[in-house]
Amino acid sequence: MKKLHIILLLVLLPAFLMAQDDNDIKWYLSLPEIPIYAERPIKEIGVQQTKFDSIVLCENIALSVADVLTFNSSIFVKNYGRATLSTVAFRGTSASHTQVSWNGMKINSPMLGMTDFSMIPSYFIDDAVLLHGTSSVNETGGGLGGSVRLSTKPAKNDGFGLQYIQGVGSFKTFDEFLRLTYGNDHWQTSTRVVYSSSPNDFEYRNHDKKENIYDEDMNIIGQYYPIERNRSGAFKDFHFLQEAYYDTKKGDRFGFNAWYINSNRELAMLTVDYGDETEFENRQKENTFRSVMSWDHIKEDWKVGAKAGYIHTKMNYDYKRDLGNGVMAHMIQSRSKINTFYGNIEGEYYIGKKWLFTASVNAHQHFVESRDKSIIQQDGNQATVGYRKGRVELTNSVSAKWRPVDRLGMSVVVREELVGTEWSPVIPAFFIDGVISKRGDVVAKASVSRNYRFPTLNDLYFMPGGNPDLKKENGWTYDAGVSFAVGKEGLYLLSGSANWFESYIHDWIIWLPTTKGFFSPDNIKDVHAYGIELKGNLDVALSNDWNLSLDGTLSWTPSINEGEPRSPADQSVGKQLPYVPEVSSSVTGRLSWKTWSFLYKWCYYSERYTMSSNDISLTGKLPEYYMSNIALEKTMSYKWADISIKGAVNNLFDEEYLSVLSRPMPGINFEVFLGITPKFKN
Amino acid sequence: MKKAISIRSLSLSKAGVGTSTSSVTNIFLVFCLLSLVSCMEWDYGLEEEFNTSTSGDGLFICNEGNFQYGNATLSYYNPETKVVENEVFYRANAMKLGDVAQSMIIRDSIGWVVVNNSHVVFAININTFKEVGRITNFTSPRYMHFISDEKAYVTQIWDNRIFIVNPKRYEITGYIDIPDMTMESGSTEQMVQYGKYVYVNCWSYQNRIIKIDTETDEVVDELVVGIQPTSMVMDCNNKLWTVTDGGYEGSPYGHEAPSLYRIDAETFTIEKQFEFKFGDAPSEVQLNGTKDKIYWINDDIWEMDVTADRVPVRPFLPYDGTIYYGLTVCPRTGDVYIADAIDYVQQGMVYRYSKDRMLLDEFYVGIIPGAFCWK
Repeated sequence: MKKLHIILLLVLLPAFLMAQDDNDIKWYLSLPEIPIYAERPIKEIGVQQTKFDSIVLCENIALSVADVLTFNSSIFVKNYGRATLSTVAFRGTSASHTQVSWNGMKINSPMLGMTDFSMIPSYFIDDAVLLHGTSSVNETGGGLGGSVRLSTKPAKNDGFGLQYIQGVGSFKTFDEFLRLTYGNDHWQTSTRVVYSSSPNDFEYRNHDKKENIYDEDMNIIGQYYPIERNRSGAFKDFHFLQEAYYDTKKGDRFGFNAWYINSNRELAMLTVDYGDETEFENRQKENTFRSVMSWDHIKEDWKVGAKAGYIHTKMNYDYKRDLGNGVMAHMIQSRSKINTFYGNIEGEYYIGKKWLFTASVNAHQHFVESRDKSIIQQDGNQATVGYRKGRVELTNSVSAKWRPVDRLGMSVVVREELVGTEWSPVIPAFFIDGVISKRGDVVAKASVSRNYRFPTLNDLYFMPGGNPDLKKENGWTYDAGVSFAVGKEGLYLLSGSANWFESYIHDWIIWLPTTKGFFSPDNIKDVHAYGIELKGNLDVALSNDWNLSLDGTLSWTPSINEGEPRSPADQSVGKQLPYVPEVSSSVTGRLSWKTWSFLYKWCYYSERYTMSSNDISLTGKLPEYYMSNIALEKTMSYKWADISIKGAVNNLFDEEYLSVLSRPMPGINFEVFLGITPKFKN
Repeated sequence: MKKAISIRSLSLSKAGVGTSTSSVTNIFLVFCLLSLVSCMEWDYGLEEEFNTSTSGDGLFICNEGNFQYGNATLSYYNPETKVVENEVFYRANAMKLGDVAQSMIIRDSIGWVVVNNSHVVFAININTFKEVGRITNFTSPRYMHFISDEKAYVTQIWDNRIFIVNPKRYEITGYIDIPDMTMESGSTEQMVQYGKYVYVNCWSYQNRIIKIDTETDEVVDELVVGIQPTSMVMDCNNKLWTVTDGGYEGSPYGHEAPSLYRIDAETFTIEKQFEFKFGDAPSEVQLNGTKDKIYWINDDIWEMDVTADRVPVRPFLPYDGTIYYGLTVCPRTGDVYIADAIDYVQQGMVYRYSKDRMLLDEFYVGIIPGAFCWK
């Protein structure tokens, strides 16, 4: 029946749209511009990065940055369910080894160290860049796997602009996006709003449990795998982003960004949960406000800039159950507040075209309050279990980039960090690149860096279990790769890269259970992560009307535990880390004809081990999976507005799959988007 | 000086791209077809037939699995043949045991497996491992204790009630409210019975042993011990033994040196307190078959006569560079079984020692072996 729905959608939607008047249609479909650089920017000497343009980020309003990264990069997105925690990890490292910035300000949780990418709507990001391995040292310290740089930018509009998109999808999912813009020679302002909601009660076959059929004497006379709904998985996410930019046109630019998040999400029950969903409530509410003000003074040979920012996050987690009388009593009532103040000063100075010097100072001051539990003390008074701490994080860097001849570039970055009262040793990084062949624009790159990551505030102070004696994680990373780009005017563009990397991470922090019933972190593992990353892109103009674009990535990332055995019985040494896929891949194909566009997205994750010994058990099996999504879009242009209509099918082949054990994932699902962009007489 | 070629600026004749077009289209089609045939297949479990009714002794091992990952398992070990069968619940029933297998007890050939974060207690045939029923919708069950064939108690964490169940009907029939305890700090653990009274140690952010009248299902008395009594047994002289963990540094409930307590069940008073060093973390107090020796974990494995006046100077088995997580003693042979969770994300190891401290066997079980149950 579901398959029939797809066929109907694919057949009827185009038929409906074909009835539209195409006379006034202009060329609105856009394919990515793939420039072939004869000269590489001096700022990017030796840098291994993956850039996402607005085509990818603004594919549809229902997507988070986690979804974009899943289908357009080879980094590992660990997804705990639909509209649930999604973390990303580079090259076999963990989520806390990925540093994330938004308009220059670090947005990793100072308590947990990681970032929930499901909380970042892709429509709120204009530029996203992945900096792999050593390349992250150009931006920040602590990115043992890499870093993700997210930013917004002026819309470059003249006059008023408005865009509204409404999405309606399976599981009563509603997505709405509104953007208002105004711009003139000096000012650019933008207001963006996203609201997404869904009961998220998708059906799935539960392989992990069986329902019993009893006779009158309570003997089991039959069992079956139930078709269940995702229980307790509803979400309502509201995002508001205000931006204002002012350009004096005399070298000074000012910017202001403010992003407010109000998220109310239930946490879905596990597939092995036998509780009655009506008697339990498991909910997380987040209120976050992030803002950044920036100033840049740009001259021909030099630039200085400064930023100031503030983050406030209030996170409430409640786990309640009905006592049988309609009263929901708290089992867990966890509250956390984070206030972060941010400041940055940076400068760049060019000497001719051969030298670039940069320097930057970044400061984050965190104030964290965590209350996890309310207890009755021995004297009968009430008390809370938690901690309250402040910590300054300072990261300073200087770099010198040198391009003595067109074909060769070298760069040195020296960074040092102060976290709390402890200075990191000097973090050095060296980059080199060179053109091997101008024909085909074949460029070789290599880099090496040392890096450190300090324990998070929860690692140090969480009650119970925080370990103030933790050492910082540290490691060396080596990168080498080659890229090429060829094109034929009016025919095709083909580019690709192959990159080898090797990382050694020591004193890896892991939380383990204790004999006292809680978890506690310790510096346990030494990890050797290595592998190969391949990327390829092909854009072809098939005819005047037909265009095809293909992007592909493939990663092979063994991530091996090289620590000491914890006991004589330890079988984990020399084995792949659990939950890290050895192979991942993604392909995106975009075929467009006139004002039609067809998108096919595909990703693959190899089997993930759930045990450090790499044993595969019946209970702990996470099979490899392939995921396919498609979308068909038609745009129409009228005198008064541009209209777009899009149909998307997710999990095209209705795969039954798991990203994390016992977390249900939705089967095939659909969403239709209608967008309108009125044309104002500006 | 960059040279950028934009696809948007491409203009070409159809004739000029014919060959390339078809080959690229072919690649695209092949890719699409590949992804069509690459669908993942899910293996539904097959039910395996077991029959251990003739095997005499048998030891069940509850492997907690990782919290929130639903990978708890049940292992079964035959001490005579030294053969271990892992994941027997899954293999017999073709479904998962659940999230955090906390404990198990046996009554009349039925094993009752308490699965904490799945809010369920499974009843299984102890010879075939087949499920025969289940009781669901607990808050966070920890241990089960039978009062009669039709009445049992199930203790909870994060609840200030002990659930009363009818095991025959697989129903929750009532609750015992625990005084001076909130839902949030609720914690009742192991139960032992003396006459018509059931004694329960209250562990997390608690310091009490409570006494329940099984006829009225009410708490009739309580005894304050040290901070966080973790486990409890009753010896051959009707003395209750409980060991506290002393809390943790920075705990608003307090942090003290842990102790082992001997409590007279009749008078419900503390007879003896054996204090450990500050910072120690003793746990898992257990008895041998004749109930005249107690055992516990405190880094090392310790053994002591129930009539002893002081803790032995030397351990029964010294610490071996790992954290022992579970402990049991064979009621028939006196062999000591110790569970090593290793790094908590791989199959744990169970070591079997004779009462003369000889290593008799070692075998891998499931993730985080925490509780044992003798057939």
